[in-house]
Amino acid sequence: MPEGIVQPMPAEAQARLLAPRTDEVRLLACSGILGYGFTEAAFRRAIEMGMHAIGCDGGSMDPGPYYLGEGIPFVSRKAMKRDLALMLEGAITKQVPLLIGSAGGGGGTPHLAYTRAVLEEIAAERGYRFKLALIESELSKDYLKAKVRAGAVTPLGPIAEMTEQTVEESHRVVAMMGVEPFQQALRQGAQVVLAGRASDAAIYAALPTMQGYDPGLAWHLGKIIECAGAVVRPKIGQDCVIGRLRADHFLIEPGHPDKRCEKIRIAAHTLYENPSPYELVEPAGTLDTRACSYEQVDARTTMVAGSRMRHAARYTVKLEGVRKLGFRSMFMAGIRDPGLIGQIDEFTAGVRAKVAEETAAMGIAERDYRLVFRTYGRDAVMGTLEPERGELPHELGLMVECLARDEEQSRAVLAKARYCCLHNDFPGRLCISGNLAFPFSPSDISVGSAYAFSVWHVMELDDPLEPFPITMIDVGG
Amino acid sequence: MWGADAVARLKDLARVIRSKNAGALLVTLDVMFADEATYRRVRDSGAINAADIARRYGLSHNQVSVIPYDVAQAIKITIPRAHPSGDPLDSDVYGAQQHAPLLTIEVP
Repeated sequence: MPEGIVQPMPAEAQARLLAPRTDEVRLLACSGILGYGFTEAAFRRAIEMGMHAIGCDGGSMDPGPYYLGEGIPFVSRKAMKRDLALMLEGAITKQVPLLIGSAGGGGGTPHLAYTRAVLEEIAAERGYRFKLALIESELSKDYLKAKVRAGAVTPLGPIAEMTEQTVEESHRVVAMMGVEPFQQALRQGAQVVLAGRASDAAIYAALPTMQGYDPGLAWHLGKIIECAGAVVRPKIGQDCVIGRLRADHFLIEPGHPDKRCEKIRIAAHTLYENPSPYELVEPAGTLDTRACSYEQVDARTTMVAGSRMRHAARYTVKLEGVRKLGFRSMFMAGIRDPGLIGQIDEFTAGVRAKVAEETAAMGIAERDYRLVFRTYGRDAVMGTLEPERGELPHELGLMVECLARDEEQSRAVLAKARYCCLHNDFPGRLCISGNLAFPFSPSDISVGSAYAFSVWHVMELDDPLEPFPITMIDVGG
Repeated sequence: MWGADAVARLKDLARVIRSKNAGALLVTLDVMFADEATYRRVRDSGAINAADIARRYGLSHNQVSVIPYDVAQAIKITIPRAHPSGDPLDSDVYGAQQHAPLLTIEVP
């Protein structure tokens, strides 16, 4: 049972939030990813300094297409709840907004629902009352097809042009919002904003750009703090980072009293996961860091100035989408036989042919599945680019995976591949009882549905709010 | 003993040689140095150049971007991925282990 209902943020606190700028706006980035954690010491110290908003990025496409496709986070529910509970407590007790971007990782409709359920569970347990804004970012096929027909979608890098067929074949597509939907949610009185896929930096740029702070500095600050602990030393796990934005510069310091933010790490952060350290493309324009200066003001704090935002002629949002390929199963086993290691490519080619013959007899054609052999210890990471591919190891990790229409077919083909790998003959074979060392039983593992990125594009928008509908909810009310 | 004039390998000069996705279609490699003198030595030697990187990664030189970044004493290299992240033939979803071909770059 809740101990007592905590009152929502009062109107005057809300009004202060929307007022034009004062001397400084202080923003807290709790963790690089919601669920990656942060120390309570850092969080509490930051909160006591007086933050104007608490933020956390929930997402990334780095873990690959699966999580967007499947509609689930790549962090555990327990970890997400732990982080959210502290952040929500901070926001409620200090009466400041909490902004979460890319909820649930991928930011799709199921990701948003998942994160909302965790948030409402915490609120119910603690008796919190607040206005929640949910901002959707998953696109319907009809909406996206109309954009494709209008010529509003273009590739972002080396990928094919989007067609209506691309849209039809995609399983889930999200658009990455800028600051405008966050600002709209705050204007509508939200204390907690749970946003779908969002630019990481937009979470933090939203409030200051609404209050009239310089957009170049606001976006640059957002970009530096969105990965939170990445710019904090010593680097032990994730942790909170504070950004303090002023009229002509900003300061970055760690939440934790015993940690520091060094000038070179702050400067180096624009290298991270970007093709260029000088240009960061955001929806309304490009952040240009060429004229930036970085200065160590004390042992723990770095000052940055000179960031510029060059406004783009057209407002664009990034699109991310995946299509479903089928189902993947795999096994991994060790090979310690030098004779087999020396002819592994010929051997796996033989296995492939034999599997095709066996599966045909079960009514599964070779074109209906994809069998992949990965030779760890030789070239599984770099493939033909491996500089030391010619040097044979004494031990090889053979991973065999099968991608097929569904789990039944995938496992049926994989089982045949397992048998053939274990028992097929090869020239000079001495150990005739089995070719593989399996580390455990069962050997065959159902990995899950397999997805691939089908959409990595940008879409022009006339209205930055258009594909991001906002729903206001009274939590605990 | 070899002096500052001897040829050295990049792995012995850099503090960080890292690789990571820059989105699902590109990999970006950052070579970072502990001191400005070493950074300038490598930057000014031209040892890290698009033609050589292209050869090491099986690309053409116009697919490779090399950007020196003085304020962080770093050189950034960006290349297209052989397969999009997580595609059936991809081998490195995060693009986090694509740096090995850089380790042996020789710096005069």
